[in-house]
Amino acid sequence: MRSNRKVRITALIFLAPTIIGLLVFRLIPIGWSFALSFYDWKIFDTPQFVGLGNYAHIFTSPTAHKVFLNSAYFSAIYVPGSIALALVLAVLLNNGLRSSAFFRGAFFLPYITSTVAVTLAWRWIFSTKFGLLNNALDWVGVDNPPAWLADPMWALPAVALVSIWKDVGFYMILLLAGLQTIDPTLYEAARVDGAKPVQRFFKITVPMLSRSLFFVLILALVRSTQTFEITYALTNGGPNRASTTLAFYVYQNAFVEFEMGYAAALSYIMCFILGLLTLTNFYFRKRWVHED
Amino acid sequence: MKTDIHPSRGTGRGTLFALYAVLIAYALITLMPFIWMLVTSFKEARDVFKLPPSFVPTKLFTDEPFGNYTEIWTQRDFVIFFRNSAFVSFMAAIGQVFATSLAGYAFARLDLPGKNWLFALVLVTAFVPVEVTIIPEFLIMRGLGWIDTFLPLIVPSFLVGAFGTFMLREYFGSLPKDYGDAAYVDGATPFQIFWKVYLPLAQPALVSIFVIAFINNWDELLRPLLFLNSDELKTVPLGLMSFVSQYEASWTLLMAGSVISTLPLIVIYMLTQRYVLQGFVGGGVKG
Repeated sequence: MRSNRKVRITALIFLAPTIIGLLVFRLIPIGWSFALSFYDWKIFDTPQFVGLGNYAHIFTSPTAHKVFLNSAYFSAIYVPGSIALALVLAVLLNNGLRSSAFFRGAFFLPYITSTVAVTLAWRWIFSTKFGLLNNALDWVGVDNPPAWLADPMWALPAVALVSIWKDVGFYMILLLAGLQTIDPTLYEAARVDGAKPVQRFFKITVPMLSRSLFFVLILALVRSTQTFEITYALTNGGPNRASTTLAFYVYQNAFVEFEMGYAAALSYIMCFILGLLTLTNFYFRKRWVHED
Repeated sequence: MKTDIHPSRGTGRGTLFALYAVLIAYALITLMPFIWMLVTSFKEARDVFKLPPSFVPTKLFTDEPFGNYTEIWTQRDFVIFFRNSAFVSFMAAIGQVFATSLAGYAFARLDLPGKNWLFALVLVTAFVPVEVTIIPEFLIMRGLGWIDTFLPLIVPSFLVGAFGTFMLREYFGSLPKDYGDAAYVDGATPFQIFWKVYLPLAQPALVSIFVIAFINNWDELLRPLLFLNSDELKTVPLGLMSFVSQYEASWTLLMAGSVISTLPLIVIYMLTQRYVLQGFVGGGVKG
């Protein structure tokens, strides 16, 4: 009896930091932000209650529309692009060759290095006249390559490309872990039955890997909505907002324009969309994810 | 388990050659920004805008091969940014090990009514995007008078961390219960059982939490951007960005700074690769 109390007191002490942190840096901010979204508040003025005014404004603002479209476009490049590439790399590396460790390390490197530093290197590579990319394109005979970061059509894909480059190694590692749990005798059996490599890939690898793939899909989806550092260091959302996605727009509204209420409303819409996308994916999970 | 049987590969020499060709090509793309960063950091400023671009590190052949590095390190105060980042990342990583080892252990091994609800809450709220919480977080830090100090970048790490808590709960949960029972029979208090028996066993997990937290905090841009104003408090990413606006065209200096800010992470990663990969795969999430 006494020792039971001792355990409880110890548990309470051990969990005290977590409880305080949860309250101060998670629960209170989540509620506060929601409340803020109903106010018109430039940080130095008095807050003014506007009801659903911020939300109404977001749904009628052409700038907000552009930002929503940009976000969808970004996710449409980033999510399939990073997962497909990660899957290809993982399959190529899952071969037991000794050199695989080197390639695995190399492909993972961008994920753990300083985002701002590598993004600045990319900025220099994308540079229109002196950049490595356009000079390489010129060398292989491409006339008039785009101005990339200065071109409204190419700025957003450039941000997405750098994001894929940065994260793909991480997804690859997760998929590799999944691949290594697949029973090799399945492939032997398929080979004996005369299945072609492509058939083996779609009939064995993909179904057996579907749980890892689902996990990676959710992670990639979440990450695709939250790009900030790369946008900030590569294009700062420009030119003319062409590469501004929702997360970056929230930042600009909150901490450049100091429109706290409007930014809070935007962040809640973002959270809502993300929640909806995640739930949709869980709903369709049973259609393609293979459970043991 | 490693296997020699590959899903999409035949056994011929030709396919092996193709495999290597693809891998080497993508490795080049992956490493190109690092190579270009390194080459540019060893160029003379006047060689940067030469066409076609060259991979010759011209500065290496002068009497001050590390000139760009010494210039950015001492004259442009990069040493200060570096020290700030090292301090903040180290403290935040210690904080994460502290907070999550206590919480992870309590969730796995100590009885408290409602603790599973609490654990669920820690996980669920971690999925709320930072954009939702950052505005009130900023207002809280401002209210506390912590703006332009390191406290907003360190204190939260000492309180809560979903990733580490999740990982350590699993880890402590997987260790045999008998060890604790034996110590209990010998009269050890719950704290002693944690401190003397289980914590030392969790060392690999603690290392990966420390390293991942260090890397994440070294990389963090948003919070330093919001919470720090003074030049002498800036962290490396913030310092790099301020260089961009000040000397837009000094790519040799910028790339030297980028190399300096990337190097510690590469070294740490190489030294602790096993722990880091395990941590990322086991926890599945960053942050």
